[in-house]
Amino acid sequence: MPVDINIIKSLNFFKDFSHADLEEIAPLIDQIRTTEGERITCRGCHADTFFIIFSGNFMISFKHDRSYTLHDRGDIMGLSTLIMPFAYTGTAVALTEGAVLSMPGEKLLRIIQSNSELGEKIMKKINEIVEKRMPFVTGRC
Amino acid sequence: MVNLLIEFLSNTGFALAGYQNIIMLLVGIVLIYLGISKRYEPLLLVPIGFGILMGNIPVIRDFGLGIYENGSFLNYMYFGVMHDVYPPLIFLGVGALTDFSAMLARPSLMLLGAAAQVGIFITFLGALAIGFLPNEAASIGIIGGADGPTAIFLTAVLAPRLIGPIAIAAYSYMALVPVIQPPIMKLLTSRKERLIRMEEPREVSKREKLIFPVVGFLLCCFIAPGALPLLGMLFFGNLLKESVVAERLAKAARTSIIDTVTILLGIAVGASTQGDIFLTSKSIGIFVLGASAFAVATAAGVIFAKIMNLFVRNKINPLIGAAGVSAVPNSARVVQIVGQKEDPTNFLLMHAMAPNISGVIGSAIAAAILWSFLGG
Amino acid sequence: MYGLDAISANNGWQLAALGISIVFAGLIVLSFSISQIHRVLEFFDKSSGFSQRIKKAGREKNISEPDVADSPLPAGIKESAFQFKLLIKHIGEPFSLPELIDFSKKCGLLHSHLRINDLLQTNLIIPDGKGYFLWNYEVEKTLRLFDERGE
Repeated sequence: MPVDINIIKSLNFFKDFSHADLEEIAPLIDQIRTTEGERITCRGCHADTFFIIFSGNFMISFKHDRSYTLHDRGDIMGLSTLIMPFAYTGTAVALTEGAVLSMPGEKLLRIIQSNSELGEKIMKKINEIVEKRMPFVTGRC
Repeated sequence: MVNLLIEFLSNTGFALAGYQNIIMLLVGIVLIYLGISKRYEPLLLVPIGFGILMGNIPVIRDFGLGIYENGSFLNYMYFGVMHDVYPPLIFLGVGALTDFSAMLARPSLMLLGAAAQVGIFITFLGALAIGFLPNEAASIGIIGGADGPTAIFLTAVLAPRLIGPIAIAAYSYMALVPVIQPPIMKLLTSRKERLIRMEEPREVSKREKLIFPVVGFLLCCFIAPGALPLLGMLFFGNLLKESVVAERLAKAARTSIIDTVTILLGIAVGASTQGDIFLTSKSIGIFVLGASAFAVATAAGVIFAKIMNLFVRNKINPLIGAAGVSAVPNSARVVQIVGQKEDPTNFLLMHAMAPNISGVIGSAIAAAILWSFLGG
Repeated sequence: MYGLDAISANNGWQLAALGISIVFAGLIVLSFSISQIHRVLEFFDKSSGFSQRIKKAGREKNISEPDVADSPLPAGIKESAFQFKLLIKHIGEPFSLPELIDFSKKCGLLHSHLRINDLLQTNLIIPDGKGYFLWNYEVEKTLRLFDERGE
């Protein structure tokens, strides 16, 4: 189900993006409902989709069963779609019913190729999140 | 009745097939498998693979079916290859798809794209050394430009019989860029160099992005007029994109036109790959030289970046030199991956796009130069 | 003819040297020209008294978070807390959430994910900052979920 541009704009991840940027991104985004216990990503599987939480609560677990939980709208899952090793580093599971916005990684990479400025903004945002999460992924907490 | 049946059976593929047909059909199946199952450049290898199947079905001569028979369906599709129609149309789509900001923000990085084209000329020398004719050597050398349309463009003019193996080599190695490049990049750089964080690029104005395609086209084609079809369409596509007023045309260029031409090009190139050319020692030479072309181009780009660092204040991460190999955007992504292995928070992708794009321009200029030296 | 002789016979060295020189020269000229474009534009802007800069109207909309008032405890929290506290005592602390979920399923508890989420939201389960979780005895006391006998 396609997503309204105003909804995307309300997400923290996209708050610095211009309307023109969002017009480029919006057609790529779909909203998907999730149910309790549903697995969104699987650790080690090929990372081809990027997810943004729209509603609901989620848990992402890593190696040695380390995990953290995400409860806020705008939180991101599936970052490995854009960074090495292009395989999901965690398993994301829905703790409650909810909805996520999904974007195919290949299309996002195309945007980055065709619009440097927008690509830079997206990569910077992702960089901030990766820095926070790296300890959980590597286990060096 | 029996005679008719016998005549029919003798015209079937089963009766006409030779060992070369069988081997080429297997080659076609392998390419389709690599494209679909392994996802190696699927947009090209699947059409090329199927084109090989179509072109190597044994048919009776003068029946109007073979690719080299005037008036056949495959012959009409092949027209676009032989007369250099398809490659410029693909460049139109590439221009309409690509943002040149990364290059405009730091033009000095274009020199890394130039350095990577050394691979073309060294491979040209290597091909001469092992006995290829100059025209053939130039067509093999251009594989080092890592640009499929450019390779087909030049080969169609200089050595049309080698289009099949050269195109397959070029696209196969482009798909193998993530395998070929990283060891060379790591060998030629120290850990400290791989950790270099590059300065944020400056913001590029809309007016610059509008002026560049016109200025770029005029300069490049005045220097190398032979690049007119390729670079003309590349810069035209980019102008359509940046002008915004022709967004419909830009969208058509980067979606339906490029996809349609890719299908036609792939099928035609595949169908033209016949056993009598492909199953020879020349093909082995082409594949070996093609691999070395990529390796030399990668090395040249990385080494030149290290040399540039001796003179510039804002250091360049030498890994991005490998992106001068113009497999857009694969080689830029490889740079990103290798850089992230050292520092997961170091995003080199945007910086690597600059040499990546200038590599496309550089390989087109190199093709034009070789054409002017050896054509006619 | 092969080797260096073949290269020399076909003017290979000259072709290669000239070719790479022209490619370099072309891209140097192009990069120099590109580097001047924005300077030329700035010059024209200044000299013709051409307009003002386009101001980026960056109004930051403060997306106000909904007031998180003291929300009532989720239904069934007491029961969930009792059951999961027992499970946590069994597996030990700090514990991993996936392990707790698996264990609770094996013990026949329904809607494990949902109930664990309730415990997280009420801070009865808290992260230890290292990817594992702890039972929050302080919050348990505050919420007075259990009587003195722990029921």
